[in-house]
Amino acid sequence: MSTLARTQREFVAALYSEAPCEPGIEAYRRNMLANLGNALGATYPVVKRLVGDAFFNEAARRYVRAEPSRSGDLNEYGGGFASFLAAYPYARELEYLPDVARLEWACHESYHAAGAVPFDAAALAAVAPESYEGLRFVLHPALRLVASPHAVVEIWEANQPQRDGTPSRTEGPDHAVVSRAGELVHVRLASPVEWKFLSALARGATLGEAAQALGEAHAQAFLAAGLARLVGEGAIAGFELASRA
Amino acid sequence: MPFAVPHSPAGIGLRAPHYREILETRPAAGFLEIHSENFFCAGGAPLAWLERFRAAYPMSFHGVGLSLGSVDALEDGHLEKLAQLVRRFEPQLVSEHLCWSHAGGRHSNDLLPLPYTEEALAHVAARVGAVQERLGRRILVENVSSYHAFAHSTIPEWEFVAEVARRSGCGLLLDVNNIWVSSRNHKFDPQRYLDAIDPATVGEIHLAGYEESEGLLIDTHSRPVSDAVWALHAETLSRMGPRPTLIEWDADIPSLDVLLGEARKADAIAARTRALEPAA
Repeated sequence: MSTLARTQREFVAALYSEAPCEPGIEAYRRNMLANLGNALGATYPVVKRLVGDAFFNEAARRYVRAEPSRSGDLNEYGGGFASFLAAYPYARELEYLPDVARLEWACHESYHAAGAVPFDAAALAAVAPESYEGLRFVLHPALRLVASPHAVVEIWEANQPQRDGTPSRTEGPDHAVVSRAGELVHVRLASPVEWKFLSALARGATLGEAAQALGEAHAQAFLAAGLARLVGEGAIAGFELASRA
Repeated sequence: MPFAVPHSPAGIGLRAPHYREILETRPAAGFLEIHSENFFCAGGAPLAWLERFRAAYPMSFHGVGLSLGSVDALEDGHLEKLAQLVRRFEPQLVSEHLCWSHAGGRHSNDLLPLPYTEEALAHVAARVGAVQERLGRRILVENVSSYHAFAHSTIPEWEFVAEVARRSGCGLLLDVNNIWVSSRNHKFDPQRYLDAIDPATVGEIHLAGYEESEGLLIDTHSRPVSDAVWALHAETLSRMGPRPTLIEWDADIPSLDVLLGEARKADAIAARTRALEPAA
């Protein structure tokens, strides 16, 4: 290994270590922990509010050492924080916390995701009814789905800046749909049936396969109005016609 | 004219708390500078905002994460996102830092100092060349502030910086605050730094505020520009003439008025420099 390579390996190892070091390197270590900690705080404001600054900062510090940054783009940092919190012994009593983190990461991804061209309703109208089963609806690139046994949507809403943090409901489960209209990210509750349908589409299911996943009775009740609503809100952005081959 | 942004008014670092006010009031600013990585996303609000600013002001894209000096291979995905951003928005200035950020795949997301050796010089000059080739344009490379000096460095920092420009053909983004911060931390005379820099290579100047912590000056971008740095800036301009100048403020971000007040101070220094220039 070259001298430069060895120098850099040792320097980064020192930054991620807790061993005492000279003041200059300590300054870089503090900067790094602050930069990565601030990035986590910006992505997970509700988690931070729920646990308080001191608790959050300590959890962030431990997370940074457990999962180093892998990108020069700070927006890519922190995708594993929910899993980290799920295994974090000091957060065990807050059972819903990892799922709140999951919901916040979904919002973060949605905010930065690609846009979509408006749904082509005329093209869909031209599809023959006998081909409907083979339709493969394409979800908007900014759509994310989060399910939790806890009331995470209500907890998330109650901890937005203008709210006092008191949820009006504590019982789950919650099925969340995260979507983006223009530049704004929205979080809303979905029915279990709608959520299951969207999950099937996210896996690439055709309309026929997705309906089958719901069961016939649910499918008929849901598809009558639910599909139009999803297209209307932009959750479904387009479609492809699966070949019969 | 190699750089198509005005020498005055000074530019300002574009930060989210000021987005709306800048678009509504269109204050005098020679250019707006963003951190390139904040706009690496595939879509959404950041790029929509950038479209609006691009239509109203000259732009400078300032990268903080490419890690020109790393021995790890150049990260192709990162460079490709930068290339796409530059292609789409065609900013007047594109800059990166003369530093490194990651090793063995672990990132610090900070601007780490290089050892100033022949080995590092050859490496980073070649990397700057590769980046310029990939972007199809000349870039500016910024001197960083530092809190640690490597005992095995053999080249003074200022010679290292000047030589990177000479070898790679890049321009320099001279951060006058960083020169001052490093001169205090490593006990050198900032005038020697300016002596070594070829004025023809300098395409932009950065000014910012620092804080002191445990005997070190830290480049926090959280304060007004210090008097010492204003003086060093005036000295820099007296040597090389006015240059596109930017006020950076990234933490404890003040009101837009305060930020623009700093830019007006830079304008006054540029005006005094021009008044002293011999008639062409």
